[in-house]
Amino acid sequence: MLDRVDVPSDLNAALETLAGCRAGAILSGGTLLMPEINTRATGLTTLVSLKKLDLAGISVSGTRVTIGATTTLDAFGRDERLALLKPVVESIASPPVRNMASVAGNLFAAQPYGDLAVALLALDAEVEIAGPKGKRQAPVSEIVKKGVAADEIVTALTFDLPDGGSWFYAKTMRRNTNSAAIVCVAARVQVEGGVVKSASIALGGAGPRPLRVPSVEAALVGKPLDAESVTAAAAKFEADCEPFTDAYASAWYRTRVIPVHIRRALVGA
Amino acid sequence: MDDHIPSETSGETLDRSYFSDENQHDFKVVGQPSPRLDARGHVTGTTRYFEDNHFRGTLHIKVCRSKRHHAKLTRIDPAPAMNVPGVVRVLTAKDVPANWYTVLRLINVGPNDEPVLAEDSVRYLGEPICAVVAESEAAAIEGASRVQVDYEDLPVVLDVEEALKPDAQIVNPVHGKNYFEYEGHPFRRIRFGDVEKGFAEADHIFEHRYQSRPIEQAPVETTGCIVKPEGDGRLTIYSDTQACFFTLDNTALILDVPTAKLRVVGGTVGGGFGGKVDVMVEPLACIAAMLTNRPVKFVYDRAEEMQVSSPRAAERIYIKDGVMKDGRIVARKMTFYIDSGAYSRHTPYGVTKASAHVPGPYSIPNVWADCHCVYTNRTPSSAMRGFGVTIGDFALESQMDRIAKTLGLDPLIFRLKNAYRDGDTKAHRKKVEGAALIEVIQRAAELVGHDLPEEYRKMSSVKREAK
Amino acid sequence: MASRIVTLLVNGTPQEVIVRPGTTLVSVLRDQLELTGTKRGCADGSCGACSVVVDGKAVRSCLIPAETVDEAEVTTVEGITPVGGLGPLQEALVEGFATQCGFCNSGMLMVATALIAENPDPSDADIMRAISGNVCRCTGYHPIIRAIRDAAAKMRGAQQIAAE
Repeated sequence: MLDRVDVPSDLNAALETLAGCRAGAILSGGTLLMPEINTRATGLTTLVSLKKLDLAGISVSGTRVTIGATTTLDAFGRDERLALLKPVVESIASPPVRNMASVAGNLFAAQPYGDLAVALLALDAEVEIAGPKGKRQAPVSEIVKKGVAADEIVTALTFDLPDGGSWFYAKTMRRNTNSAAIVCVAARVQVEGGVVKSASIALGGAGPRPLRVPSVEAALVGKPLDAESVTAAAAKFEADCEPFTDAYASAWYRTRVIPVHIRRALVGA
Repeated sequence: MDDHIPSETSGETLDRSYFSDENQHDFKVVGQPSPRLDARGHVTGTTRYFEDNHFRGTLHIKVCRSKRHHAKLTRIDPAPAMNVPGVVRVLTAKDVPANWYTVLRLINVGPNDEPVLAEDSVRYLGEPICAVVAESEAAAIEGASRVQVDYEDLPVVLDVEEALKPDAQIVNPVHGKNYFEYEGHPFRRIRFGDVEKGFAEADHIFEHRYQSRPIEQAPVETTGCIVKPEGDGRLTIYSDTQACFFTLDNTALILDVPTAKLRVVGGTVGGGFGGKVDVMVEPLACIAAMLTNRPVKFVYDRAEEMQVSSPRAAERIYIKDGVMKDGRIVARKMTFYIDSGAYSRHTPYGVTKASAHVPGPYSIPNVWADCHCVYTNRTPSSAMRGFGVTIGDFALESQMDRIAKTLGLDPLIFRLKNAYRDGDTKAHRKKVEGAALIEVIQRAAELVGHDLPEEYRKMSSVKREAK
Repeated sequence: MASRIVTLLVNGTPQEVIVRPGTTLVSVLRDQLELTGTKRGCADGSCGACSVVVDGKAVRSCLIPAETVDEAEVTTVEGITPVGGLGPLQEALVEGFATQCGFCNSGMLMVATALIAENPDPSDADIMRAISGNVCRCTGYHPIIRAIRDAAAKMRGAQQIAAE
């Protein structure tokens, strides 16, 4: 049971509380943690809210984007400089939840949620983390795999904004809005001289966490970005994926449609 | 996302071509919009649902539930729960005066086959074992998580047909077999004409299997109640039950008190759809209120609503039809396996409804149906919007479409050929009145621009055309 | 247990409440301030029945520990009900038969209030997106969408008259 909810206005105070308590957790938007607190015996005694830490905000310098950890999905979606990524944000939950949910929190959403994390994985985003020993950086691929230590706080995310022609995003849901991914595809594919120069393709709904599909990426490099070569490359997804069954789709179904959605995301129907 | 929501269409007037005899009056209200009496309360947030009643010092209940589908309970130790600050009491089966019940005993359906709180065994995942009563919801949740329960697993029966095999594990010892007995029969039966003869004469035989999963009603307001002990020794039960008197009578029987001791305040339900017909929360809240002399609230959380509030039963249905070249169905045999879960609740009645719906709205000279109400180690199923009928309809109408497709018949014509009509005798030996199926199909066809040949446009439910 | 005093401006009225750690905003509103128009449906943010407007944004009051919204401005269904009458959204819901069991209405109203405040002329698609997280299990979505559309039009009309 909770015996303390802190709303510190200083990062060091937040880190100290976190380090000093028996069973603490960070509370950002609350959309993932509060359902647990409300209905289960979580064993948590302390919540440290990031609300007043001044970690929200977006800065863009050239193509380099830095987003504060507690920036809401709503604020992300409204930033004209990030218009290219607006479809990612708008594919997540519903407006009231986006008004609360934070960008960093999305990295810790269990699959098949966490569509922004999928996009950030395709963008090779870097995560800034504060801990008792100071700041560190880690690639988002590591954070979605291992999380952060119990006494650490994600403070910001940075990534290079892709140009319009190289960015692809498609989330397949059972409903048009407010639903989890059956399959979510985010990709940055650069084409030069008629062939793919580099490809980074991330999937949601394809495994226990957002994941990249290096086998598909490698098969695509050097090929033209057309239906034939994408279909051939997408067929190699199984080496990298562990599709699962949940209320939205069965593992069997996801396995069937993952290559289809990779193809649709990159070259259309 | 460019869906456009059409504006409200004007009210349809009565179809006097069919209802000419029945409605002679000029209606002042029927066909006219009339504001809902409760709408103002709903849009101002002033409608009083059960949980909008507040009493100082209200205690909260959280139930410790079975983590197994089927097991012997070798130990229940509530002591660790009592150590949680704020936990006031832990109720076990011993605290329930008349622990075994079945809701439909009020209309002579028996036997009592379900405990309010588990005694020596649990028979489905999520079955209530004990109830933690605490000063706050958080303390009740914490307490319920700390109750120590030791299980000795028993074989699990999860499939309706497996359950009926002779060597199947018995789910419910009260029945002693994995089916509900209907007047000495192991299933509800319909026998009309001679189906085997019908099949022998038929040009085509169609046999298919249909299956559904349990369907949760998922009302936005979860199942719950607040019970307040009054100065005169009575208990007031503020509840969102859809069935105030079922709740009142069953709760009185479980508490072993006269019904006059209880007053149910209900009738305002934040969505029910059949999910709030069973008597799920009131008995435990009453017992806790009696033992503590304090108001007690027991509300399901969303996960409980999804997992243990009784859903629509899962069904498996086999249909075998004998059909002539011209599309007349001459024999229909249906076998229903309807999953009651571990206990009866409303499903024996649902199975009766399923049988009453055979063979669908069609006149078929030879009909046979076996409708099994089967016990398995799954969440007990119960009422939900047309329960017992809707899944049967899904199977029947899917079957109709499949047959029409195979025979190359227009699916509406195929149905018109077989539609029941006023004066026909149904498989239950009831004379059909007010069928109107033909007129509905004709009108539907017209509305969607589906052309029907003259002879089918001229058909009538009231009168059969001359051969 | 470190209970705290939380100050809120609820429907224009300053309120001070003592909250136990982790008490949610919906609980403060319903159990302490007895503003029971805001409903509890799922406690996990997925049904929308508890939606209220906090500092101009529609949010889920079941997911907000009260300590984290100290000094916030909160509007609930009670706050959009004019004395002795109905607001335009409420009126449209009544007139458009957009109520059935009534349990989703408060949440729908608050989400629609925030939507129209930001976008006075929402398309049906905008409305659908806005209420996409609000469940109506009586499945009366179409009348609700129509009512929000009608209310927005009425409010635009009123604003135009006021401007003239």
